[in-house]
Formats: sequence, C-alpha cells, structure tokens
Amino acid sequence: MNETAHRLRTAAPALALVLVAVLGLGFQLQLPRAFPSEADYRGVAEALAGTRARGDVVLLHPWWTERARLFLPGDLPLVGYLGDTADDLLEHPRIWVLANERLPRTPDADFRRNFLPDRTPLAEPRRFGPLTLTPYRNGRARTVVLAAVDALDRLQVSVDGSGTPPQPCRRSGERVLCPFDALVEVGWHEVLYQPVRCLFLVPPSGGRTLSIRLPDAPAADALLLEAGITWEHAWLAGRADVQLHLDSPAGALHLRIPGAHEGFVRGESPSSAPGPWTLRVTTSSPQDRQVCVRLRALGPPP
Amino acid sequence: MIRAPSQTDRRIALGLGLLTFVVLWATERPVGFVRDESVYFAAAEQFARWWALLFHRPATALSDSVITQAFDFNHEHPMLMKSLFGWSYTLFHSVLGWVRPAAGFRLPAFAVAALIPALAHLWGSALWGRRAGLFAALCFFVVPRHFFHAHLACFDMPVAAMWLLVVYLFWRAQEDVRLAPWSGLAFGLALATKHNAFFLPVVLAPFGVLAAWRAAGEEGRRVLVRMGQAAVAFIAYLALLLAVLGRVGLVRSWQLLSPQTFGVLALVVALTALAVQLRQRDTAAFVRLAPLVAMGLIGPVVFYVHWPYLWYHPVDRLAWYFDFHATHVHYAWTYLGEVLRAPPFPLPYVFVVTALTLPVSLLLPMGVGLLRAGARTLGDVVPALGRRFGRGGETEWLLGVNALFSILLISLPDVPHFGGVKHWLPSMPFLALLAGREFDRAAARLSSALPPRRAMSASVALGAVVLLPALTLTVHVHPYGTSAYGELAGGIPGAASLGLQRQYWSNNVTGVLPWMDANAPQGGRVWLHEVNGLSFRDYQRNDMLRKDVTPVGGPEDADLAAVQYHQEFREQEVLVWQAFGTQVPATGLYLDETPQVIVYRRPAR
Repeated sequence: MNETAHRLRTAAPALALVLVAVLGLGFQLQLPRAFPSEADYRGVAEALAGTRARGDVVLLHPWWTERARLFLPGDLPLVGYLGDTADDLLEHPRIWVLANERLPRTPDADFRRNFLPDRTPLAEPRRFGPLTLTPYRNGRARTVVLAAVDALDRLQVSVDGSGTPPQPCRRSGERVLCPFDALVEVGWHEVLYQPVRCLFLVPPSGGRTLSIRLPDAPAADALLLEAGITWEHAWLAGRADVQLHLDSPAGALHLRIPGAHEGFVRGESPSSAPGPWTLRVTTSSPQDRQVCVRLRALGPPP
Repeated sequence: MIRAPSQTDRRIALGLGLLTFVVLWATERPVGFVRDESVYFAAAEQFARWWALLFHRPATALSDSVITQAFDFNHEHPMLMKSLFGWSYTLFHSVLGWVRPAAGFRLPAFAVAALIPALAHLWGSALWGRRAGLFAALCFFVVPRHFFHAHLACFDMPVAAMWLLVVYLFWRAQEDVRLAPWSGLAFGLALATKHNAFFLPVVLAPFGVLAAWRAAGEEGRRVLVRMGQAAVAFIAYLALLLAVLGRVGLVRSWQLLSPQTFGVLALVVALTALAVQLRQRDTAAFVRLAPLVAMGLIGPVVFYVHWPYLWYHPVDRLAWYFDFHATHVHYAWTYLGEVLRAPPFPLPYVFVVTALTLPVSLLLPMGVGLLRAGARTLGDVVPALGRRFGRGGETEWLLGVNALFSILLISLPDVPHFGGVKHWLPSMPFLALLAGREFDRAAARLSSALPPRRAMSASVALGAVVLLPALTLTVHVHPYGTSAYGELAGGIPGAASLGLQRQYWSNNVTGVLPWMDANAPQGGRVWLHEVNGLSFRDYQRNDMLRKDVTPVGGPEDADLAAVQYHQEFREQEVLVWQAFGTQVPATGLYLDETPQVIVYRRPAR
C-alpha cells in the first residue's frame, strides 16, 4: 500500500499533466456535439414556416449564432447582435428564441437577466439536435401605429438657419438631399452593434438645423424617439453633441446625444392627438455625427 | 554545467529545424494573406528589383534618389526579412519557377521560424537534458497561433526567433568568448528584423554587467564603475535635451550634426574605450561583458548597413522610425465584449489572452514553469524559498525575465494591443523552455516510479498525451489560426460568447474563395471586406481567386460581398443588407459555428 502511494505521489506531476491533457482532449472531442447540422437548421426553418405569424421575430441565443441566417426564411426578422437580450423588440408580440445551450460559455445569466423579464413561454421548447426553439409572448410589445421610416414619402424636409427663411430639400431617388450637405434617407445602419432600419440623417453644416415635418401623424398612446450615432463615429471623446427636438400635439420632447455616447438615447412623449410632428436636428460637426433616428407612434400592447 | 550542446543534440536540433521548415512549407498553401503580408510581398518585390539594379547599374542604384524611391515604401520596418523574402521570391518563383509566388516570399520566414525549435532544443537539452529540450521545441510549435504565425512572410515570428537567438548566444558567450561577436551579429540581425529588438539591451545589460561585476577584481570594477558613470551621464544628457526640446523637438531637430548625435557618439566612444581598458586590465570581467560590447558595436553597424534607406539620411530617418513606433496608432480590438480603441488598455489583457489562446495542456507546464522560475529566482534572495525550490542563479533569471519581458511590455496600458498574441511572441519560446523543464521533471518522476525498461516509453507516451490536445486543435483550426482559442476559453465558440476578437484581418477569407470562384459571374465585381488591393491581387496571382473578377470598394458596386466578422465592423455587414436588399447570406466561413466571413450575393434584378 505504502509502495503504491509512494509511486502515485512520485508520478503525481505526470498524472496531473495527463489529467489536464485528457480533459482538454475530451473537451475538443465532445465539442462538435454542440454544433447543429444543416438538417437541424432546416427542421427549425420548417417548424417556423408552419407556425409563424405576422409580427414574429427570431432571437438567437447566444447572440452570435448567425449561421442560422443561411437556413431560416429570409422574410422572417432575425435578431442576433451583442446586447440583443436587452432589446425590447416592441414591434414583435411573439419572439422565437432559437437557442443552443450546449455551446460552451453560453451567456445564460445575461439571458435570464435581460431577456426573460416580461417574456412568457408560450409552449415547450422543440428540439432540433442541439438547438431548441421556444416561442415567448413579448410583454414589452406595443402596437406601432406609425414609424417614420415608413413615411419617408410624406416627410417635408428643410434646412433652417438663424434669421434666414427655411431652405427646402429635394428628393433624389430614395434620398432627400438638402443644402449645406444635409441628407435624409431610410436605410440599415449599425448603432452600437445593433442593426437598425432607421431614418439616416446627416445634419447640415454651419450649426444649421435639419427640420423634418410629418404633417398628418395619427393619434398615438405615446411617441417614442430614439437616436444614435452610427458605426465608429460614436465613441470618440470630444465629438460634438447632437440636439434633437420633437414638437407634436403631445408637446415638446428634447433629446441630446452626448459627444462620446454609444448606442441610442431614448425619449417618450405622452399620448398625442392627430397632427403634425416636427423633428429638428442640430449639431456643430455633422460629418462625424451621422444620426440614426427611429420615431414611432405607439398604440396599446397587442 | 557545460553550455555547449553535444554533437547528438546539434543533430537533433538540425532535424527539428528541418522538420519545422518542411511542415510549414507543406501546410502553407491554404494560409491566407493577413493585411500586412501583401504589403511586405510588394515591398520585397520592389527591393528585389533594386538589388537587380545594383548588380546591373551600381552607380545608379546607389544614388540617394534611387534608394529613396526604392526603399521609401514600407520604411516603417527594416529590411532584413523583406530582402530575404524578395530574394527568395526572385530565385524560387521568378527564376526557377519551383513554387507559387506566396511560397517564394514565405520560404525565408519558414527558415527563420525553424530556428526556434532548434534553439529551444539546444538550450533546453543543455540545461535539463534531451527530454526537456525536445518537449520545449515541440510544445512551441503545436500551439495553433504559433503554428499560424510561423507561416507568414511577416516579422513577428522572425523577431521571436531572433530574440531567442540573441539571448541564447549571449548566454553561451558568457562561457565561451568566441561566441561574443556572434551575439553581436545576431543582435544586428534582430534589429534588422523588427523594432522589438531594440529592447534586448534593456533586458540583457543587467545580466552582462552583473556577471562582469562578480567576475571582476578591484581594477576591473573601477572600469565598470566608469562605464556606469558614462551611461548615467548619457541618460542625464538625454533627459536634459528632452526637457529643453520636448519629445517632438528632440525627434525633429535630430540631424547628423546635432547635440543628439554628439551624445550618442560620445557614449559609444567612451564605452568602447573603457571596454578596451577592461580587456587589458581584467580579462575575466571582460569575457562576461564581451557579448554586450559586441552587441553595442556590431549590432548598430549591421542595422545601418543592411538598410540602404538609412545610408544618406541616417539620423533623421532613424528618428522618424523610432517616433513612428513610439506613437503607433491603435486599431480596434475586441476583448471580453468591449471594443478596445484607445488607451488605457486593461492591464490583465495579455495574461488573459495568453491563457485563453494556449491549449490548456501546454498552459499548465508553461505556467508552472514560470512560477517555479519565479520561486527559484526569489530563492536567490529569500533563503526559505531557496531551500524549498532551489536557487535559480543567473540562467534562471535570464529565462524568467525573457519569458515575462514582452508580455509585461505589451501589458502597459498605453502600448498598442491590436494584433493579439503576435506582439508578445518573443516571450513564448522562453515559456516553452520552462515548460520543457516541467515536463522533464514530471517524466523523470514518472520513470522513477516504473521499472527501468518502461522509463523511455513512459516519457514518450507522456509527451504524446500532453502534446496531443494542442496538435488536435492546430490541425482542426488550420489555416485559420488567428481564430484559435484553447479549452479555457471554451474553444472558438466559447471565445465568441466571451466577446473575444474573432480573427485578424483578411486571411480567413480563403475559406470562401473557392465558393466565390465557383459562383462569381464572369467578370463579376467582388467586394472582399478588409482585403486590401494588394492582397486581392495576391489571391489572384496565387490562383486562389479567379483572375477575371474585379475588386470593388464597397457593397454598393458589388455582385458578391464577403464581410469579415469584426465587432467594430458591424456597420459593413448592415450596409451589405442595404445594398443587396437581403439579410440572407449565400454562404460563409463558420468555424465551430462562429461566423468568420459571411458572403452575400446580390439578388438577380
């Protein structure tokens, strides 16, 4: 016995090396079991095709598992970006969470903390290999009465200077081109890793104000204004602020995007009667202050 | 201990070097061109043309204007490796036609990288025996990221090899003064490889001076003190100039006839004169100092002579070179869910990334080896530790300091952190050496617990088991080594969830080029995100991409777009959605599920 113990003690460093190597090798050998096959993804796509409804969205968990895009229906919104668990997804009453919890270091704590509040599972998860597909009722959803991105044709855009009459902008294809290098268009952009279809604004130079007017906005329970600087222009310290001022029948709403702020700033006005909205945007440094704006009129929860 | 290797170990080292060279060459073809590599290809080609001109019209080639024209491109890096790349390309591709262009450029990089296992074996076997040397040599190269970087016609692996060579020769020369000039030459070659080498005197000077002090008699110590006084006077002089001129002023006003040049010349002359005096008065002390003296005299000469760009304008161009690297821009780099864009960078970054990228079976002996080196070096000053772990002595200090120096240097919050492990590669061969000792200790104890006839096979089996996970990972991830993560990170998918940098720039695009070749329309317009024009050309001329497709600058003009997943470039993929009107990729490179390169095809109108 003593002899065996002595031998084990003597060989302990080698055994430790072997143990760690075996654990490492074991990890590598079992890792592929966490990877879904194409058939698994196709199964998910078929399941979604059979049960999806208008307003549904798919959320990926972990957020980076975007290989799913290759297989899922192209017209079904799919969300997967760093920080997406905190996204209210308010246009979507039902969220399909496509999860792969067999992957190492899946951020489950973040999912529980940020996604689950106000979300209720509507059915048991369905399994497709290592994937699970679970529908959730989105308790944060709101009816979107009107989104500014869908009303580009109706927007009246001009550049206002102090003491000078407003200078109108002209439409060129799907853009609105303005004096002093200002621009309004609808497009996909990134705000702190979040892909967003938004009103993309380049404010006018010289500290002038870009004025965007929607003359016939409907009544709404609330107006939600969100604005963020796109891509890499957001983070640098010392950049100029952007001032946004929304006038609506509900009153005035003022937002400021601070110089080095990344992500959206948000503001919500109380219920609004039908009438015009006017959004005014000003900055002293427009070339690195390109703004992605989401302006939505919200109704009751669906 | 005799520091010179045995004949058998020399042969083993040669075999290891040859094996490394052959393996690198055999696995080179699928390795993509990282962003800078194609720049170095182009520079090497240009310099090769200058060398041809030198042979045909030397008077023209040696004129200031022609040298400036030939060497101005990419003058932020010295010439040694680029010259070798260019000569090799000219000989093996252009003249002999034996290899494709990329392999022509890369062959010298393989040869220089092959020095690392050879030197690791020579040193490890001299210190702790053949088993330790062999393990040190192999464990360095089975790390996926080391294996990847060894393929590139760049400078990171070569400077790691040169660093090891200089320190090894310095160590040998302390015993055998005949090697001192070689350490000086090696230092010159290291300077001519990459700017990291300028830190070598900082690392080695204390060792040389201390060893000389210990060996010196009274007379010798007096000379050494005078040398120290000269060095202190120089530092004080430099500090005075800095205070008067400021950093920018110091750089801008540095000319041939300037106070700065005077200071450097005065230091060199004084130290040389004192070194001669030391040699006359105290040979034992001089022998210990000789490698440093050789480095000081030969190194700068080699550096100057090898780089024609410095010949006519040595001072101002050198000043620019130092200033460029001292004020290098910071590229975005993702670390634990945060895009690092500007200093201060997190202090633990280098240690964390090292731990997460090394296979765990190698991290363990490297980590324990470093800890043991630390304990033994402290054992020199703390008797209790010395009794428990043994006393380290000069060699232990040398290994430990070199294992940590580059890691600590890059850990400084203001030093650029982009590039990941490649920036502290010079530390890794020393960690591999320390891992070799740990392996040897473990194998020796295992052998002692077994019948003697099984001792050898037990050591071999233990080595195979410990190296196998790293080898498996390397084979699995090749040629996408910049995406590799070890088991602690949870592999590549775990690293994605942790929010770590997914890849470098450009090279992983090789994973989708075959699909593009098969699917791009004839004469199609292709946007390869983060692949610069030179790399695009290199993919085409190395038959990795069809020659009829045309590069375009963005998705709006493209038929096909390949976007590389970088956290800071999310906008680029979204712009493809906007331009192509779809969010559904056509294909992609997904390593262990993680998106690396995503390809979109413009839908038919």
